[in-house]
Amino acid sequence: MRAVRFAILAALVPLAVLIGIAFGGAPLDGATLLHALFHPREGGDAVTIVWQLRVPRVAIAATVGAALALAGALLQALLRNPIVDPYLTGISSGAGASIAIAATVGAAPAVIPPLGFLSGLATAILVAVLARRGPRLDPERLVLAGVSLSALLSAVVTLAIERLARGTASEAILAWLAGSLAGRGWPELAAAAPEALLGLIIAVAAIPALNVLRLGEARAASLGVDVARLQWALLIAATLLTAAAVALAGLVGFVGLVIPHLARRLVGPDLRALIPASLLAGAALVVLADALARTVAAPAEIPLGVLLAFIGVPTFLVLYLRGGARAYA
Amino acid sequence: MPESGIVALDGIAIARGGRVLLHNVNVAFRVGVVAVVGANGVGKTSLLRTIAGALAPTAGTVRVRGVDVRALTARERARSIALVEGNEPAFAALTVEDAVAAARFPYHRWWEWDPTAEDEAAVDDALGRTALTAFRARELGTLSAGERQRVWIALALAQRAPVVLLDEPTAHLDLKASVQTLQLLRDVAAGGALVIAVLHQLEEAAAFADRVVVLGGGGVIADGAPAAALTTGTIADAFGVDVVVERRPEGLAFHRRAGADAP
Repeated sequence: MRAVRFAILAALVPLAVLIGIAFGGAPLDGATLLHALFHPREGGDAVTIVWQLRVPRVAIAATVGAALALAGALLQALLRNPIVDPYLTGISSGAGASIAIAATVGAAPAVIPPLGFLSGLATAILVAVLARRGPRLDPERLVLAGVSLSALLSAVVTLAIERLARGTASEAILAWLAGSLAGRGWPELAAAAPEALLGLIIAVAAIPALNVLRLGEARAASLGVDVARLQWALLIAATLLTAAAVALAGLVGFVGLVIPHLARRLVGPDLRALIPASLLAGAALVVLADALARTVAAPAEIPLGVLLAFIGVPTFLVLYLRGGARAYA
Repeated sequence: MPESGIVALDGIAIARGGRVLLHNVNVAFRVGVVAVVGANGVGKTSLLRTIAGALAPTAGTVRVRGVDVRALTARERARSIALVEGNEPAFAALTVEDAVAAARFPYHRWWEWDPTAEDEAAVDDALGRTALTAFRARELGTLSAGERQRVWIALALAQRAPVVLLDEPTAHLDLKASVQTLQLLRDVAAGGALVIAVLHQLEEAAAFADRVVVLGGGGVIADGAPAAALTTGTIADAFGVDVVVERRPEGLAFHRRAGADAP
């Protein structure tokens, strides 16, 4: 049963990728599309559209979805809390606030992405330091520090938007907050991919220990898990994955919250299945959502983050409320 | 120097939250069942966690087969010592079998994900000995507190460690399950392990332990065979309760003397 569901999930990704490549602003018929896809060196408009616009965009959407879903699954397992979101690490609010401040003071557009990345990381480190107790991280303190710092930094963003009323800088901030893949291509993906890959490697190495952690921190420690090292490794992995996603797409909410839940329903709580299932489902969902965001109101684009919130929130509520039983007993 | 054994405590001092609980504890344990008794807050659980290497003592060393537990890696420690504490919440959707299989973690390196035949045998054996075979597919969230307690004991058995430490293993258990659990611990010791259990019921300690350690006043009040360690005098020192100890053919019985509690 689990194998069948897994196979369906795995098949969903190439399907989503095909849909993502097939739909877009410029209509291409099936034959042209396939020809361009399989003959990338021939040149021409179709090849440019497919290989310079659609393929990188689909690849970015898949990376963002997989990274956020994986970060969410890791943090939910680490904090033993099923309603944790990757943005809890402070990554997005830190990046958002610095981007807002940079836009307010009129900083050059080129410095904004690296500035956002660095301040996101700095905020994540601050959250982790606040959440420390002895050598370990305290799950409750991490949630508290993450939520309160995010609220503070969101207020900074709001203030910046209010100050810049209706200016183009304000629109840039709003676009970032709404989450979008518009205008992203191979260079952005190449810049973000190493962080995402490093996060993935750490996550995979931690899977057996994470499975043991489900029995509780004290039990995991007496079963040979170095809990402090596992917590820090996972926080670093989740931070890297979230940072990569934020750098590529701005704020794309609910993927990191909903997908791990959905994956848990499909393949169960064993992280050997849950981690790859989250990865696949996250990639498929964001690729499909981005295709929808590009086509539903073409030639205009609906912000990806907004679209995902419309899909994600009701899904999450149904999944969570129908779950019923307590997660820990 | 204390006599050598599987576990030796050498000058152990333990403080929690700035308060010294125990100081200069020197004891050594051989194969068998040891019951640790004492009043609430006297340091029984802290002593157990110190032996397990989960808590650093403020002074002294705990040696397991001659090696300082704090010098072992987490996995090495888990292969030598199993610690059963019942009160921590666990993921409710976990099946009994998956929970018990986690005991095999210290026998695997991080890339070895699949259970070996030895892992499966250890899990099957632990489930069988705790009468959980029929429960193996049940989720933890659907179990009673007593059934869950048996899962944690099965987890410790599947760990196949020569030292098994248990903090109140009979809490939440009804009379029959308590007797079965204590008998199981005797069987484990008979198989060549050291079992140290914190117990609250003096009758249980007297009936099932080879040796009783009474803690109180920052150290060991009494240490020896049950009849020698559990006397009117040591119980008054440890609990401040005046008790008559009655020797019966079936074991020791403890009766509180009415209206005569020590101050």
